[in-house]
Formats: sequence, structure tokens, C-alpha cells
Amino acid sequence: MTLLSNPPAATQDDVIALRAIGKTYASPAGAFHALSAVDLSIRRGEFVAVVGQSGSGKSTLLNLLAGIDRPSSGQIHVDGQALHALPEKALSAWRGRAVGIVFQFFQLLPTLTAAENVMLPMDFGKRWPARERRPRALELLARLGVAEQADKLPGALSGGQQQRVAVARALANAPALLLADEPTGNLDSHTAQGLLALLGELVREGQTIVMVTHEHAAIRHATRVITLADGRIVGGAETAHA
Amino acid sequence: MHERALLDRIGLSPRWRKMLRDAGLHKARTLLVIVAVATGMIGAGALLDAWALVERATAESFLGSHPPSATLRVDKLDAERLAQVRALPAVGAARVRGRAFGAIEVGGKRFTAELFALGDVAARDIGAVYSERGAWPPRDGEIAIEKSSFDYAGAELGATAQMQLGANPAGTLRISGIAHDVGLPPGWMDHVVYGFVTPATLASLGAAPVPNELQFVVRDARADRDAVRRIAYDVKALLERNGAQVTNVDVPVPGKHPHAAQMDSLMLTQGAFGALTLLVASFLIVNLISAILAGQTREIAVMKALGAGAGQIAVMYFMFALLLGLLASAISIPVAIAIGRPYAALKADMLNFSVAGIAIPWWVIALQLLVGCLLPVLAAAWPVARAARLRISVALRDAGIAAENGAWLRRRFALPGVSRPLLLSIGNAFRRRQRTLLTLLALAAGGAVFIGASNLRHSVLASVEQMFANQRYDVLLRLADAQPAATLEAVAAQLDGVARAQAFATDSATVLHADGTPGNAFTLIGVAPDTPLLQLDLAQGRWLEAGDRNVLVVSQQLARDEPQLRPGADATLTIGGRTARWHVVGADRTVVQMVAYAPFAALTQLHGDERVATLAVALKPGNAATRLETILRLRAALEQHGMPVAGSQLMSETRRSIEDHLLMVVQFLGAMAWVMIAVGGMGLASTMSLAVLERTREIGVMRALGARHGAIMRMIQAEGIVIVVLAWLVSLPLSAPMSVGLAVAFGKVMFAVPAQPLPNAAAALGWLLLVVVVSLLACAWPGWRAMRVPTARALSYE
Repeated sequence: MTLLSNPPAATQDDVIALRAIGKTYASPAGAFHALSAVDLSIRRGEFVAVVGQSGSGKSTLLNLLAGIDRPSSGQIHVDGQALHALPEKALSAWRGRAVGIVFQFFQLLPTLTAAENVMLPMDFGKRWPARERRPRALELLARLGVAEQADKLPGALSGGQQQRVAVARALANAPALLLADEPTGNLDSHTAQGLLALLGELVREGQTIVMVTHEHAAIRHATRVITLADGRIVGGAETAHA
Repeated sequence: MHERALLDRIGLSPRWRKMLRDAGLHKARTLLVIVAVATGMIGAGALLDAWALVERATAESFLGSHPPSATLRVDKLDAERLAQVRALPAVGAARVRGRAFGAIEVGGKRFTAELFALGDVAARDIGAVYSERGAWPPRDGEIAIEKSSFDYAGAELGATAQMQLGANPAGTLRISGIAHDVGLPPGWMDHVVYGFVTPATLASLGAAPVPNELQFVVRDARADRDAVRRIAYDVKALLERNGAQVTNVDVPVPGKHPHAAQMDSLMLTQGAFGALTLLVASFLIVNLISAILAGQTREIAVMKALGAGAGQIAVMYFMFALLLGLLASAISIPVAIAIGRPYAALKADMLNFSVAGIAIPWWVIALQLLVGCLLPVLAAAWPVARAARLRISVALRDAGIAAENGAWLRRRFALPGVSRPLLLSIGNAFRRRQRTLLTLLALAAGGAVFIGASNLRHSVLASVEQMFANQRYDVLLRLADAQPAATLEAVAAQLDGVARAQAFATDSATVLHADGTPGNAFTLIGVAPDTPLLQLDLAQGRWLEAGDRNVLVVSQQLARDEPQLRPGADATLTIGGRTARWHVVGADRTVVQMVAYAPFAALTQLHGDERVATLAVALKPGNAATRLETILRLRAALEQHGMPVAGSQLMSETRRSIEDHLLMVVQFLGAMAWVMIAVGGMGLASTMSLAVLERTREIGVMRALGARHGAIMRMIQAEGIVIVVLAWLVSLPLSAPMSVGLAVAFGKVMFAVPAQPLPNAAAALGWLLLVVVVSLLACAWPGWRAMRVPTARALSYE
């Protein structure tokens, strides 16, 4: 069994294409350039780790890829969609369909069970008929090794279990792109290794993953490492291998 | 997991499961808001139910009885004259009746009585009278008492009553039944026992053997008062052409119960307060939804990151608000019916209707449900719209409650002697400014109504005091027949216990309008211009002077009903069938009846002699028993001199009766203040509960730093006190327009009272005390909860 019911086709097409991206924030001290002239292409099936010092622009880059934030300049295409031109309403629908996000602090909704958390994106995205959502959620949880926790609330789960549920939730709508923000930052090393192995497995099944991290152990699992410094890509902008 | 199985079975999607469980997470707080909203809706709903019931009862009872369009007092009526009236094209139905005034003694107690002898008791097309209990119609020697007088008189079916008309000998009547005439004002209210007898019984008591009143209903149901009045004068002319003399024509407002306008005004005023209470309740919803949204900012961001659109997020929280409204409606609608129905019964009783068997219209319930559901949704609109538009990146970084919001206030109050915990409480009260402001306004609105109602009570009591201070006599005696004024005064003056006695001449008068139609009858009282027994408080013009002839001083009520009777104007009056020009010289501000005062000499000259039937008596100081004994001796003395007394009216009793009626209206208006205070108190409890919840970690830190339970509780209580004291301060200026508004409303319902815009000290202090107690109670529960959370858990609270 594969983790992805509807895996993206293993082509050599770019999933992500960033052209001259700039992101500037206004601050009391003046304009702050979080990203400047970033050009980046990521192909399907790549496992990209984004590294850099705090304030280097990693989270900003991830937010732009997720359609959570908009660039101040440049063009951004993800899975063939020009995000910079998409209105807010369409962006929400696109996000639900095309991107899965894994947060550092899991961000599971505390009053929903693990299965219900996984069903939630399907509920918003309406990509699966209502009757298929729970079986699919249970299937994802089983593949991630937390099937027995399906009907438990997040408060009753360990950190590792919560993060696995979060990954299952990110995969709920079979997105073309999985974005992970410090996914192991809140886990012990053993649990973190398990999770990274799981992400590696997903990549082997054709999933594209972009992961922000600062942990060397995590970097080892990536197929490409992009280094950011002061809002610019200083390493790994080009695809190293397919 | 039973709950999950149930939710699976009904196919509830995760987002709705989340909303349900979130509501259940803070059950007490959610319940408090539901109860608060329900309380506001109960107030407004009960008023709406009562209004709808009274309106329906008016249509079914009053209009259904075909109330007479006009009543003419005629000296002689017979079947032929009645037939002539019935033959008029404009007249739909007509009847004659005998009407007489007297006194009735039931169970040893004496009451003023008004008897009716109907020509046709079975008639349903004009002023229908129905049997309530016992026998109907009464036979000769029997009396059926009107239901609104029955309990007032302490009557019992089958018992006997002594009935006396004027100076005629009393007759014994058997109480055979209870009748209901919705066209009569309630006997208990007017302190009159209304009874129905046969024409033969009325004649046996000494009344004229023929009917003395003619009533008719106009054929055109849409005819206005002027049109009816013109028809009434056509009828009058017809009767007079046939040799009868018509002494009075009374045309009420068509289709309106005599007290309907007052009742509508009262209902409308209370309705306005009901709407205000709903507004106050909506503040609570804004606070609750805002707090929920603030607490779920990050969750909303996560849901948006998972693909939820702004619309989907908004719908989730609107549905939550709708659920609150549905639950509040489920409580409020039945409770409002339970309160509204007896309240309507009370109102209907004041109109001499009954609401028994009358259902509340379906649309009234539907309206309450609609308002109950829409109000929370509308109240939630702004906070939900704001949250739904929140940018994900900003929301994910949400740090919760900001400390800076209250900092400026802490700095401002950082004075020597103000402790650090108190400074913290002052600052804390303003960390959620919008929430504090709405809570404060809710309480202030309740306070403003509380003070306003108290001001109105003072104004009303002062007005009654003024009214009776102007009438410097203790009792009015009504003689069975007119007697020489000088003899009456002389007999009374000789009696021990009487300080002063003066005869008043009285008559009925009508204003002749420019178009030739007369107005409604009013009482004209002839008094000596230098009488010490009347010291009116004049709003305009002057009092009567020696040498005055045809001049009038009118009461405010009469001036309102007949605007042409303004000081300085001339008017044509018809008195006892004779018409003359009169000049209005003054208008009184305190007398609430439809009366005018004229020089005694002018009125007696009109009558042709100095015989009068009213004696005003001022008694010497003494206790109630002594004064009553003096009145009885006076009545006996007058009777000995061949001047029997038909009835007496004690001013103290009249005053108590008037005060009771007026204060009842004040209480009706003031009742809404208590509803609003209850809602405001629940709002404060909710606000403090939210404040404590949001600052759980801060409280944990304070406890880790050594703060004891008492200190935490004091801090929370102090925060509540800060809010209520500010609410109290805001309520003081707000009470000024409220007091004026209540006085205006009271003026429309009863009679004009001077507005007292400045809050009276007792009410202001009472309100402060009350609001502090409300605060202590409202903060006790959140404070207790704060103390119960273990420090370790409080420190890890997010």
C-alpha cells in the first residue's frame, strides 16, 4: 500500500517555480526585506530541506509556497498555479487541494479526535465524498502507524503520535506538495528519526516535500538542501539530482 | 465512544463536531450567556405576548360586544322614540336603558353603586352583556353584579344587598348572578359596584319608571369620532323634535376602549425597554463570540491553512451563534408565555376583559424565534467577520491578550497609597477594552433605568402630593337632592370636628365646537373665588376673582381634550340645555380629571337658585377613627335637617387609590430595570470568567511568586468593582435622558408629571450599593475557579 491514494505523476516537471521573488515587511525601523530576488525551482518527488539562521527568511519562503503570504514582487507558481495572481477565496480552495502543511507544534485541533483532525481538510476541501472521508482518514493513520489512536483526542497522544497525525492530516487531500515547518523541532531524537524516515518513504512514493529545519539529522534525509541567508538563497538553488 | 458513534450516525462533519465540543468546553460560560440572552428575550417576549393577547382580547371581547358609538341622556324614552332612532339610516342598532347612581351595602360595607336596567338583555348587536355565573338575566328583586365589582364588593351569590338610590328608602336585592360588560371600566379600579337589574326593580328603588339613556351603534364601522358626533346630534335633534330633552351626549373614540390608549402607551414604553434589554443581551454575545474567536485565533489560522475559506470559517461561528440563539429561544419562549399570559390577564383586567381561552398568535411566537436566532447572529457579525479575514501568518503568531492595553491606566493611577495589586486590577479591567466597554454599557443602561424609575416615582408622588395639597378638604359629601348652600354650610359648621365646610355647585357641561358639534361632557364646579378649600397650582393664567362672571379655570386633562379651552380664549358651553359664552382665564397643572372651575355665583345663577348637591368639608386634626366618626355625625346631622347624603368620598382614600394606580404603572416601567440589571450582572460574570480564563497563566505566575488565594480573589473582585463603579458613573448622566423619557411615557399613559432629570441621591446610592453586590456575586465564581486551578497547570496554560 502507498501513502498516497492519488499520488502526483512522477514527471520531471517543476512543482515549484519562483521567479525574482521579494517579500518586504513594514516595520517601525523601516522596510524589512525578508526575501530578495529569490529564484527557485523544485521538481516533483524532491525532498528539499531549507536551512538558514533565524531571520534568514525560511518561514517567509514556506508561507509563500503555502499561499499563506503573498510576495511583494516576483512570480510564484506552485503545481502549475500562479499564486501571486490568485484571489484570496481561490487561494484558500487551492491550498486545501494542493498543499499539505505540517507545523512545528503539530497544531492539531484539541477538541477533535485524531481521525476527525485528518477528516477536517477533506471536510473543507470536499474532494472526497462524505462517506469516504473516515475510511480514508483511518487508512492514512494506519499507514502512519497511529491507527489505534484514531478516536483519541490530541491531548491523550504523545508528541510523536501527534506529529504523525499532523502528517496524516497534511496528506488528507493528497496534495501535490507537502510543506513541513520544523517538523521534528518538538520531538525527541528517536521519534524525530522515525518521522523523517516516514517523510523519506513518502518522497519515494512520489511526494514532493519542502521542509524548513535547522537539524543536521533532518538534513541528511533531504535530496536537496537550500540555504538561505539574509533573505537570499546562498546554496542549493539548482536541483542537484532528480 | 458514545458521543462519536452518535455524531457518526447523524453524519456530523468534523467542523461542526468542533463547534459543538468547543461550546461544551466552557459549559458554564456558554450557559451563562444563553441564560442572559434568554433573560433579555423573556422580558421582551413576555411583553410582546401580553400585547398580542390584549390586542386579540380587545378585538374579540370589546369590539365583539359592539360597544355603543354614542350614549345620550334623555329625560323620557319609549318604544316609539327608540323605533324612530332605529329607523335612521346611519344607525345600525339602538337600545334604551335605565341608569341610576346610589349606594349599595354588601356584607355590612357600603359602596358607591351604579345600576343599569337594560331594555333587552339578550341583545348582542349593541353593548352585549354576558352572564359569567349564576342566573341571567336577573328577575325582579334581584341584581347581577358586574364581574369587575364582584370581588371588590366582597359579594356572594345568593346573598342579599341593600340598595339605595339617593334619598329613597333602601331596598333589598338578592345577588343572583355575575354579569360581564366589557364596555364598563373595572369596578375595582373605579371603586364602584356596577349592577344589572330589571326596569321594575329600578323603579321600585325610586328611579324614574322609564329608561333615561339611549345608546346606538353607527352603521358605518369606519366612521370617525366627528362623524359619529354628527350622527349623535342628529339623533338628539330627532328626540328633541319629539318632545324629549337630551341633557348629555357622550361620544367615545370609535373602536377604542376608554383605557386602550393608556394601555398601548404603557406597552409601547415597556416594549422599548424590552428592545433595550435585547441590545444589552447582544453585548454579551459580542463578548462571548469575541472571546471564543480570540482564544481560537491560532486554530482558525490552522483551519485556513488546511484549506478553509473565510466564508467557511464565518459560517462555523455564525452557526454557533445561531445555536446559542436557538437554545436561548427554547428557554425564553415558554417562559415568556408563562409570564406574558398572567401579565396580559392583569392588563386585560384593568380593561375589564379576559384573556382566558385566547391563544397567542402564531406569528408572535415565530417573531420571537426569529429574533432569538437572528440577534446572536447579528451580534456576532462583526467579530466573526474580523476573525474570518484574519491573515494566517498573523494569526499563527497570535500571542493572546496584550498587557499594554491596560498599562496607561495603571500608570495614571500609580499614586501614593494605591497598592500594586489594585493597580494591576485597574489595568486588567482595560486589557480587553471592547469587552469592558460593552459590559460597562450593559450595566450602565440598567442603572439608568433604575435611577430613572426612581426619579419617576418621586415625580409621581410629588405630583399626587401637590394635587391633594391643592384640595384642602378631607371629604366630599354628595347630597341625595340639591339643598340650599347656606343651610348645608351652617349645619356642617356647627358640628364639632368640622374645621370648615363649603358648598360646591356642580353641573355637566359640553363645549360647542365651531362646526356646531358639541364635545364630550365634563364636570363644571362652581366655587367661591376666595375659597380656602382649593388652592390650585396654575400652569397658566389666573385663578377666579371676586366679580368674575362667566369665566373658567380648566384642568390640564380638559385642556388636552378640548384644545380650544386655552387661557385667554372664549368658548361656547352648553350647560343644562342652555348655551352661553365663557372666557377661560387659567389652566391648572395638577388636577387629572376632566373638570373646570367657575364662580359659584355664575353657576347658581344659571341654575336659578343657590341649591347645590355637593359639600366639601375640612376636618379638624385627629386620628382616622375620630375623623370617620365626625363624618358619620355630619351625615346624621344633615339627615336630621332633611338633607340626606347619597354618598361620601374620603380624600385620603381617593389619594391612596390614585397612588396605587399610578405607582403600579411606575412599577411596570421600573420592572424592566431589574431585567436589565440581571442581564448586565450575567454579562459581568461572563466577562470576568473570560478575563480569568485568558489570564490563567498570569495567575499561575502570581501564585508561583507567593500570591495567596485571598489575594487572587481580591484582585479579581477589585477588577469587577472597577468596572461596576465606572458603570455607575456612566449611568448617572445616562439617567437624565432616561428620566425625561420615562416622565414623557408616564405622561402619555397617565398624566403629565414634571421630569426630574437629576438623579436623586438615595436612588444613586442605592444603585451603587446594588451594583457592588452584583459585582461581588458575579466575580465570586470566576475567582473561585481561578483559585482551584493547580499552579503547575496554570503555568502551562496556553
